[in-house]
Amino acid sequence: MAGADSPGRGIVVVGSPRSGTTLLRRILDAHSQIACPPETYLLSAAARFLHEETFAQGLRIGVTFGLGFAGFEEDEVLSRLREFAFAFLDEHAQKQGKPRWAEKTAFDAFHLDAIRRVCEGHVHFVCIQRHGLDVAVSLADLVDKTGGYVEELHDYVARYPEPLEAFARAWIDTSTKVADLAASGGRVTDLRYEDLVRKPEQTVRSLLEFVGEQWEDGLLERAVETTGQVGFGDWKTYAKSAIDDSSVDRWKRLPSPVIARLAALCNPTLERLGYEKVAADAESDEDARRRYELGLMLNRMKGKK
Amino acid sequence: MALTREMLLEYFADKARGDLSEVQDSTELFSSGLIDSFAMVDLLMFLEKYTGSKLGPEDINLENLDTIERILNFVSARGGG
Repeated sequence: MAGADSPGRGIVVVGSPRSGTTLLRRILDAHSQIACPPETYLLSAAARFLHEETFAQGLRIGVTFGLGFAGFEEDEVLSRLREFAFAFLDEHAQKQGKPRWAEKTAFDAFHLDAIRRVCEGHVHFVCIQRHGLDVAVSLADLVDKTGGYVEELHDYVARYPEPLEAFARAWIDTSTKVADLAASGGRVTDLRYEDLVRKPEQTVRSLLEFVGEQWEDGLLERAVETTGQVGFGDWKTYAKSAIDDSSVDRWKRLPSPVIARLAALCNPTLERLGYEKVAADAESDEDARRRYELGLMLNRMKGKK
Repeated sequence: MALTREMLLEYFADKARGDLSEVQDSTELFSSGLIDSFAMVDLLMFLEKYTGSKLGPEDINLENLDTIERILNFVSARGGG
């Protein structure tokens, strides 16, 4: 196993929730040298440990400042926190008989600044991005299935009464943080969900090369054949027995006015991430009214079926 | 320009839930679930703009709109095909 402070020790997957992080987790965990448990929430918990606030007069409060008054340097605090979190992952990997670990928890992207403070320079970061409108649609599915919003989404839902707009804005914030990390020039690689499902072998080969591991024949088949360990994570990926692109471009089935509104929000970020801008013209009031009328007529037709 | 099967399929390509590559002229689109309500309303908007005339409740039924063949016939009868 790599030394305690070696960047080879761990792999941290980050991406906006619903960006394929669980699929990536299953692929990494299927590798003979990497153990990637279901979502542990270790790193977001570490991020919360580091929570700090700045008072109006400039005084900053939080654990690193508090311990600073007690004589502990920030680096020391971060090192101890890192060792605490990584020890669980080391032990898990040992139990699996594997020399390395990977960690992914979907909502880590909301805590990325603090996670970078803990992990940067000590892990390989793998960033995964997905088209923002597909992320918004998939988050809506998640909320529908679970019947509630995780804490990280509360502010968005409170500020924006239309859920898809709230989810799109959450994607903009998280994918921007992830893109900033990918552009940081550190030990980071990035990939797209769309490439992972359309060209899985090519994409995973490149990823493994980045983390210094060999491609293994049958890796992708093993990843989806078994459910692996039961735990938190995307339920949908467990329903699939093969990697496919059926979840790409689901946003195109949204009503045109919704696409137009989301496009106006998401296009700058989509462009930054290398996606095509979504072409959509805002609907006039007259068209919106007519759409509503036609929807009512269609409902009447459905009632007569 | 007359509305053609190819134009309709191209229109549906981005809107349909399922794969329409195997759709025949007589394949049921809406009642089979291949086309959902959102896509159907988009289609109605498209047809109104294409034909330049408003649809009424009497026009919106499966007899007129559930297959490629029926849509083409319906549009043709309204002078748009």
